[in-house]
Amino acid sequence: MYELLIAPFVEFEFMRRALIGAAALALGAGPVGVFLMLRRMSLTGDAMAHAILPGAAVGFLIAGLSLPAMTIGGLVAGVIVAVLSGLVTRFTALKEDASLAAFYLLSLALGVTIVSMRGSNIDLMHVLFGTVLALDDGALLLITSITSITLLTLALLYRPLVLECVDPVFLRSVSRSGTPVHLIFLALVVLNLVGGFHALGTLLAVGLMMLPAAASRFWSADITMMTVAATGIGMASGALGLLLSYHAELPAGPAIILVAGFAYLGSLFLGREGGLLWLVLPGRHLEA
Amino acid sequence: MTRATAIRFDDVTLGYGRHPAVHHLRGEFAPGSLTAIVGPNGAGKSTLLKGVVGALRPLAGRIAVSSGPRTRIAYLPQAAELDRSFPLSVYDLVAMGLWQTSGVFGGIGRKDKAKIDEAIAAVGLTGFERRSIGTLSGGQMQRVLFARLLLQDASLILLDEPFTAIDAKTTADLLDLVRRWHDEERTVVAVLHDVDMVRRVFPQTLLIAREAVAWGETETVLQPENLLRARRMVEASDPFARVCERA
Amino acid sequence: MLVKRNVVTLLMVAALASFTALPATAQERIPVVATFSILGDLVSRVGGDRIDLTTLVGPDGDGHVYSPTPADARRVAEARLVVTNGLEFEGWIDRLIASSGTDAKVIAASDSIAAIAEEEDEDDDTGHDHGHAKGHSHGHSHGHDRKDAHNHSHDHAQGRDHAGHEHGEFDPHAWQDVDNVKAYVANIRDALVEIDPEGAEAYAENAEGYLAELADLEKDIEAAVASIPEDRRKVITTHDAFAYFSRAYGLEFIAPQGVSTESEASARDVGEIIRQIRELGVRAVFVENISDPRLIERISAETGAQVGGTLYSDALSPPEGPAGTYIEMMRHNIRVLSEALAS
Repeated sequence: MYELLIAPFVEFEFMRRALIGAAALALGAGPVGVFLMLRRMSLTGDAMAHAILPGAAVGFLIAGLSLPAMTIGGLVAGVIVAVLSGLVTRFTALKEDASLAAFYLLSLALGVTIVSMRGSNIDLMHVLFGTVLALDDGALLLITSITSITLLTLALLYRPLVLECVDPVFLRSVSRSGTPVHLIFLALVVLNLVGGFHALGTLLAVGLMMLPAAASRFWSADITMMTVAATGIGMASGALGLLLSYHAELPAGPAIILVAGFAYLGSLFLGREGGLLWLVLPGRHLEA
Repeated sequence: MTRATAIRFDDVTLGYGRHPAVHHLRGEFAPGSLTAIVGPNGAGKSTLLKGVVGALRPLAGRIAVSSGPRTRIAYLPQAAELDRSFPLSVYDLVAMGLWQTSGVFGGIGRKDKAKIDEAIAAVGLTGFERRSIGTLSGGQMQRVLFARLLLQDASLILLDEPFTAIDAKTTADLLDLVRRWHDEERTVVAVLHDVDMVRRVFPQTLLIAREAVAWGETETVLQPENLLRARRMVEASDPFARVCERA
Repeated sequence: MLVKRNVVTLLMVAALASFTALPATAQERIPVVATFSILGDLVSRVGGDRIDLTTLVGPDGDGHVYSPTPADARRVAEARLVVTNGLEFEGWIDRLIASSGTDAKVIAASDSIAAIAEEEDEDDDTGHDHGHAKGHSHGHSHGHDRKDAHNHSHDHAQGRDHAGHEHGEFDPHAWQDVDNVKAYVANIRDALVEIDPEGAEAYAENAEGYLAELADLEKDIEAAVASIPEDRRKVITTHDAFAYFSRAYGLEFIAPQGVSTESEASARDVGEIIRQIRELGVRAVFVENISDPRLIERISAETGAQVGGTLYSDALSPPEGPAGTYIEMMRHNIRVLSEALAS
C-alpha cells in the first residue's frame, strides 16, 4: 500500500510538485466549475479553453515556452472573448451560447492562421498538452496565486453570483452589480483555465473544472457541499492520476482527467442525490 | 418608518420598438396609496410596472419616482424567472431580501437572522427553512417570495399578478400582508384580474386599456361604462398604425 | 563602299547572334528538393551551382511532424530529384510526393547503411557501452530486449531495401554517425549523376572534397571522445536521437522520451530517468532545439546534474547560429559534450 500510494511522492520531487500543482488547480477550478455548471455554462468553459489557445500560441511564438508570455497571451485572448461575448449577450438579443460560439471560433481561427504563418513547431504540442511533470517554481507560483485570487473573489462575490443564477430579475431590481459580477466570473474562468494549461494543456484544463463539478451534483443538493465535493474529487483525481501515470506508464495529464472522468461515471451511477442506481432502487419513503 | 414614495407620470408612453403598449399616461400614485391596476389582456399593465422599476425606458414622457434617502423599490414580476432547479434553500432565498441593506459584501448578523425568521413566520412557512426551493408548491413559492418582499422593507411595492393560480388560503394570507403594508404607509401597486378582490381590498384603482381609462377611487373607476370602454380598446398592436399625433 | 557596308552588317549580325547564343549555352539549374535542413546542406555541398535546391523543413524545424504546404507540393512537382532521409523519418513525404504528381527521382539517402532498430526506453538498459571507436557498417546490433515502439508496420516506401533486416521500425537519425553520412553523400552524388550525366565530373569532385572534410570531422570527434574519461561518458538528453552517435563514438545517451517527439512522458518514465541519473552518476543534461526544455530542467533540478547546453539533433540552426551546416553541427555537439563531461 505504501509502495503503491506514497512511495512515488516521497522519492521524487517532480511528483510532489505535480501533486501540489494539481491540488492547487483543483482547489480553484472546483468551485468555479460548480458555478459554471449551475449557471448552465458548462460548454462555455470548453469554449473558453479554445479561445485561450491562440493567445497562448501567440505568446509562445513571440517568446518561446516562457511562462509570462504564454500566460499573458492566454489571458488577453480569453478576457477579450469573454468580455465581448458577455457584452453582446447583455445588450443584444443574441444569447450567451451563440455570442460565445461566434467569438471563440473567430479567436481560434485567428490563432491557427497566425501559427501556420510561422510554420509548425513541435513545442506547440506542449502548449496543447501541458507538462504537469515539469512545473517549475514560476508555474507553481502562478497556479497557487490564481487559486488564491479565485477563492477570495468567490467568497466576496458569493451572494451576487448565486442570485445572478437563481433570480437575475430580482438582482437587477435591487442592484446594478449583475453585469460586472458576470464579467468578473468569466474572468475567473479564464484565469483558472490559463493556470490549468501550463500543467494540463489547454485541451484538458477544462476537464478538471467540469468533471468534478458534474460529479458533485450527484452527491449533494446544497451549493456549499457541492463545492466541497467537487474540490475533493478534483484533488483525488490529481493524486490518483499521477499514481496511475507512475505505475501504469500513462501520460500524466490525460491520466488525471481520465480518473476525473471515472469519478463522474461512478457518481452518475452511485451518487446519493439522484444517481441512476438510486433511481432504480428507490427504497422506502418517509412518513412526512 | 420609511417615507412613502410617490410616482408621477408625465405624459408617459411605454412600449417595445415603436409600438406603444401604454400611451400618454398622466397621473400619480400618491404616497402611501394602495392601488390596483386592472384592464383587459394586452392593456399594458405589466409594461407599466416595468417602466416604474426601470426595466423599460419610456418612448416618450417621464416617470418620476420621488426618492428620498431611504427609498427602496420592491418588485414582484409576473412569471417568476426564477431557476427552481438551483440548489438553494428557502432560508437563503428569503435572505436575499436583505440585499439592499447589506449590499454585495455585507454579512448577516444576529438581528438580520431574527428578521429573516420573522419574515418566514409571517408567511406561515416556519419549518420550511431548509427545504430546497425546487420542492415547493406554487403557493409555497409565492409565500417565499412575499417573505423576501417583507425583508426588503421597501417604501414602494409593485406586484404583478401576485395571486394568479394560487390557492385561496394562500391568497387570503398574502392579502393580509398587503393590508399590513398599507397600514405601514408604504405605497403599494398591484396588477390584478379579480375585480371582486379589488373592490374588497383596494381603495384606489387605475383602469387601463393602453391608455388610462379611469384613475381614482375604486367605486368610481369600476363603473360599468368605464369597463365597457376599456373592453373596446384595441388589443393587438397595429402594423399599419400611423404616427401618433396627440400631444 | 559596298564591302565596308557588308562587313559592318556582318559584324552586327555576328554580335546579335552571339547575344542570342549566350542564353543557350548558360546552364539551367536542376531543381532538387531535400526534405530537411541537414539533408539540404549535404545536397548543396554535392550539387553546388548546378542545382537549384529547395529544403522543405527549415532550420530548427521538426522533420517528424511537419505539415507540408501547397507551395511545397508545387516545388516537389517541379523537382527532378527528391532527397529524403528514409527510415520513416518523414512520415508525411509519401503523401506529399503522391499528391504532387511529380515524376522526380526519389531517393532515400540512408540506403545501404546499417540501421539501428528502434527500442522502447524502459527496457533499454542503455547499459551498452560501445567500446569500439568506429561503429560498423555492416552487421548490426546486438541483441537486447527490444520492443517496437510504434504500431504502424507499413513497409518502407519507394522500394528501398534495407541492409539485411527485418521487421519493425528503425531509428532514423542515421546522420549522427559521420560514417553513415559518407554513405549519404555517395548516394546523393550517384542520384545527381543519374539525372544529370553532364555534371558527373562536377558532382564527383564536390563529393570527394566534402568526403575529405567528413574524414577530418570523424577523426576530431574520435579524439574528443577519447579525451573524456571513460567513466564520464554518459549524457542525458530529452530526445532519443543519438543512438547512432552512441554506437559509433562510445558515448551513452539516456533519454526520457521516445524517438519521435510526439509521445508524452509518463510519470514512470521521468522517475526512471531520475533514478538512473542518480545511480549511474550522470553529470550532464542537455536540452535540444526541438523538445520541451521545461522537463529537462526539472530533471536537472531534482538530480543536480548540470544543464550543459543545446545539442542539435534533427535540424540545423539558422545560418547565423552555431550549427548552420552539418559539419558545424557535429563540431558544435561534440564540443558542448566534451566541455560538459570533461570538466
